[in-house]
Amino acid sequence: MKRHFRELSVALALGLLLFFLAVAAPTFYQPQPLLSLLTREAPTLVVACGIALVIIGRQIDISVGSQFSVCSVCAGLLASMNWPLALVLPASVAIGALMGAVNGALVAGLRLPSIVVTLATMVTWREGLRWLRQGVWVDLPNGIQWFGLSQAAGQWTLIIIALLLLVFMALAMKHLSAGRFVYAVGSDAEAARLAGIRPRLVTFTTFVLMGALVGLAAMMNVAQSPQVDPNSGTGLELKVIAAVVVGGVAISGGRGNLWGVFVGLLLLACVSPALTHLHVEAYWEKAIQGAIILLAVVADGLRSRKKER
Amino acid sequence: MAAPANNPKSSGWRTILFRHETILLLVLVLEWFYFNSVGPRFGSLDNTYDILRHSVEIGLLALVMTPIILTGGIDLSVGSLLGLCAILFGKLWRDAGLSPVMAGICTLGIGALAGGLNATLITRLRLPPLIITLGTYSLFRGLAEAVTHGADTFTNFPASFLFLGQERWLGLPAQAPIFVAVAVAIWVLVHRTTFGRSFRAIGFTPEGARYAGIPVERRIALVYVLAGIVTALAAIIYTARLGQAKADAGTGYELFAITAVVLGGTSIFGGVGSVHGTLLGVAAIAVLNNGLVHARQPREVAGMLTGALLLLALSGSVVPKMLTTLWSRRQTPPANIQPTEIA
Amino acid sequence: MSKSYGGVRALKGVSFDLRPGEVHALLGENGAGKSTLIKVITGAHQPDGGTIEIAGQQVRHLTPAAARDLGIACIYQQPALFPDLTVAENIALRLEPATAGRRVDWPTRHVRAGQLLQRIGAEIFPDAEVRSLSMPEQQLVEIACALGAGARVVIMDEPTASLTQKEVQLLFGVVRDLQGSGVGVIYISHRLEEIFTVADRVTVLRDGESVGTNPVGEMNKASLIKLMVGREVSTIYPPAEGASGEVVLSLKNIGCAVSGVRNVTLDVRAGEVVGLAGLVGAGRTELARVLFGITPADTGEILLNGWRLTIRSPQEAVAHGIAYVPEDRRRHGVILDMPIAANMTMAIHRIIFPGAWLRFGAERQLALDYIRDLDVKTYGPEAPAGSLSGGNQQKVALTRWLATKPKLLILDEPTQGVDVGAKSEIHKIIRRLAKDGLAVLMISSDLPEILGMNDRIAVMRGGTITAILPGKSDAHDVIAAALGQAEKGSAQ
Repeated sequence: MKRHFRELSVALALGLLLFFLAVAAPTFYQPQPLLSLLTREAPTLVVACGIALVIIGRQIDISVGSQFSVCSVCAGLLASMNWPLALVLPASVAIGALMGAVNGALVAGLRLPSIVVTLATMVTWREGLRWLRQGVWVDLPNGIQWFGLSQAAGQWTLIIIALLLLVFMALAMKHLSAGRFVYAVGSDAEAARLAGIRPRLVTFTTFVLMGALVGLAAMMNVAQSPQVDPNSGTGLELKVIAAVVVGGVAISGGRGNLWGVFVGLLLLACVSPALTHLHVEAYWEKAIQGAIILLAVVADGLRSRKKER
Repeated sequence: MAAPANNPKSSGWRTILFRHETILLLVLVLEWFYFNSVGPRFGSLDNTYDILRHSVEIGLLALVMTPIILTGGIDLSVGSLLGLCAILFGKLWRDAGLSPVMAGICTLGIGALAGGLNATLITRLRLPPLIITLGTYSLFRGLAEAVTHGADTFTNFPASFLFLGQERWLGLPAQAPIFVAVAVAIWVLVHRTTFGRSFRAIGFTPEGARYAGIPVERRIALVYVLAGIVTALAAIIYTARLGQAKADAGTGYELFAITAVVLGGTSIFGGVGSVHGTLLGVAAIAVLNNGLVHARQPREVAGMLTGALLLLALSGSVVPKMLTTLWSRRQTPPANIQPTEIA
Repeated sequence: MSKSYGGVRALKGVSFDLRPGEVHALLGENGAGKSTLIKVITGAHQPDGGTIEIAGQQVRHLTPAAARDLGIACIYQQPALFPDLTVAENIALRLEPATAGRRVDWPTRHVRAGQLLQRIGAEIFPDAEVRSLSMPEQQLVEIACALGAGARVVIMDEPTASLTQKEVQLLFGVVRDLQGSGVGVIYISHRLEEIFTVADRVTVLRDGESVGTNPVGEMNKASLIKLMVGREVSTIYPPAEGASGEVVLSLKNIGCAVSGVRNVTLDVRAGEVVGLAGLVGAGRTELARVLFGITPADTGEILLNGWRLTIRSPQEAVAHGIAYVPEDRRRHGVILDMPIAANMTMAIHRIIFPGAWLRFGAERQLALDYIRDLDVKTYGPEAPAGSLSGGNQQKVALTRWLATKPKLLILDEPTQGVDVGAKSEIHKIIRRLAKDGLAVLMISSDLPEILGMNDRIAVMRGGTITAILPGKSDAHDVIAAALGQAEKGSAQ
């Protein structure tokens, strides 16, 4: 119980928010908009799982937004060239993994700080995409949206994919030795090396996995509308980092789990429609996001200082 | 008694040639010649003033980012703070009715407060600058968007104010003297004062600096507050140059600032670096951006090249070190083993 | 079972062997060569000469990994554990092979950790987070790891340094248990009572040589101390000048909970060199850090020249005229990447650079003067401190503080890792400073240095001063006091 205190307190906050909404803005609880909300957030959950892994390994990746945009556009272009769905998805994943590998090579191979590396790749991918596409949206052929299913079926499919991935990764991080290695490297890379783990390989792999998940998430996003918006990834990195930090993952690495991230993501996802229903303007969203990141980090910082006493 | 292994002085002209700043100067000159040949209007005086005008804001941010990186920290929030200060300046002038001068002074104060927020969270709570400034990066931009409701723009500033950004004074762009003043001030701070000395010491080893009696937390707080003030100044100049203040002002400027600093030879890990290097870095980026426009390249290419340039600059500092360690490992290890004191 | 014959520079022809199921104690003062011997055994250092045999097989070129495989485990005082993970996981990660695709068997991990901990009698929950454990508890986890790894040789380096009596008894139980399993234990400790309780044989090292390996039953405390100390004080130290001046520093009941310093009462006069002796972990550096403001005192009084002071940070300490040359020269004493001149002026910015303006000419001149006065061997004041030898770095560290013209100078292991020539120079400098009226507090683990350099010797143990002896004391008395066997000498 005590060990999961952090995750439980976030769940409590979510519960309070949901209760508050039930009372103050019951219009929030309509099936169709709720379903749309969850579907919209499904790709975000996938990316959040990936970045949780990176942060637990004591790194950071702020290029995920740009990676997302690139993969979305690539997937859209391939689809519009009439590639079958069964090939577009792996292609998107592969492109993401490739971009992740670039990050990984620079961080693990050259030992450059991940913040600056991903800052540079973020801009490079984003500007490169803008240059090649000039902001033009990609029109998708008919079979792509909702994977050719009805809207409701498509929405549920996406939600289930995201949840399955969450469960799979949460289990892997707990029960697969490779997952434990990430925790070990994030906690103390030198102790990990002494225990026979290879920290640089672990770091490289987390970045590649991150990229692959972005590719998957991009595909899930593309399947939601008849067109692909080349700016769909804007602001994604802050969103997922906020979710992860709120969900109990420490920036210093080595601790946190995906269940907390899931709850954190839900909490943040409910904040903006809650604001809408409370007639607060949507423009406060970014500020609140930043404030939440700061609050979560400060709270964690204060708590660990108290422990040191 | 071991003789000192390497005496830099003995290499003489070769060291001057291979210094980071010299290479950068060379790159700058090459850029100049290239763009001159490709775009006809590039080398004109008018254009040079244009380059200067456009690079003042980024230059200010890069200048103030230098001491921060020297201490081993980083500030990702400067671009967002620029936007926030710009619109607050506009609001103070338009809605609160203050004169541009008064509004300007208040804005500088706001910048100081914002920098102070970063400083407090970083020094008091000993939290990593990375995540703190990532949070304020979002917070400041968010506040800017919220205050302007995402749409509001401040325009119609008096001509006396716009003079600052758009006109010339004694033949030079009006914002140039301000930039030069700040550049000189920061150069002096870093290279000629005890503060600069302590920044480097902190960057090399915060604990070692503490043991030398340096007030580490106070110095770190200083660089972040300074960043806030100078960012506010950059916001005012930005507004004067464009004639308007919008919430998205300064988007992406933090990347340019950090790139300029790293390009200029300052190590991202701290301790090593120079302000004149940063100035050269700013020049290189500004000339690149401007030159690409004249060469009829889209501005996205500039962004991509900046990103690539940052990666090259980072790798460039690391790769030689890696090669030398690989090389020295091939030599035989030293014969004497110093008994380390444990028990 | 294992026998090594080392010839590293710090060890000269040491022969050592360990039998299965034996507890073999290793005794010696600081710097006698114990840690070097251990490093040879664990493969961290290669001996220049001699052989290593493990279980009858001679081993060439022992690496740390090979040593681990052969069953040699070492429990250091700084455990290499993962702070954010549980005890069970820590043990598991050390013991399980590092293959990526395995399924993690949590129940087995939990059970095995529980078993190992129980065997040691450690009251630690396998689910506890390592970060929440105290240092001794973390040590016990390390021992559990060693046990689980099926070690045949377990080296314990000062294992009881921070344990309570109860925990010490637990540890002895663990040791006996290991013995019963046929594991050989090398037990390094300064606590003679423990050696007599738990060890079978004891080897004493002195100046890198083995001076005797005897069954514990044949020795007593006196004979052991005699073996440890044995030689003549052959180096000539600069003579003390005699009369001291006013009391400069007066400590009354100083305590600092965080660092373990308690109830320290001491006076230091101008012109006096007071030595602070004691074994590793006695609290000497901790006391220095309290005086210098790194870990401020929470009880007691500090008086400097009669004025009551609160010192909450190094800046305050410096402002009051207290200087501290730290033990870790490379990390805290100098800044390796910065030039000598910058290092020398690092603490006197207020004085030499009024208005915060750097004056390179004045700085260079000051540096040149000190380089000449102290005979620092370098090509110039612009050389980075990292380019100097240990002794010269120490001189630079010293000048940094001399330049502040302090009233009290605290030196922490001033000649550690310094060659003989520079050592003697530093000693002369210290004497000269004292003669000029400085009050000097000198922490040292070098017994001849303590005896030769100090006018009085304060011996610390367990965070407090146990004895204050006159300068020309017997080496025997100092060691005895440090070990807690005070026979002569009172508290004042």
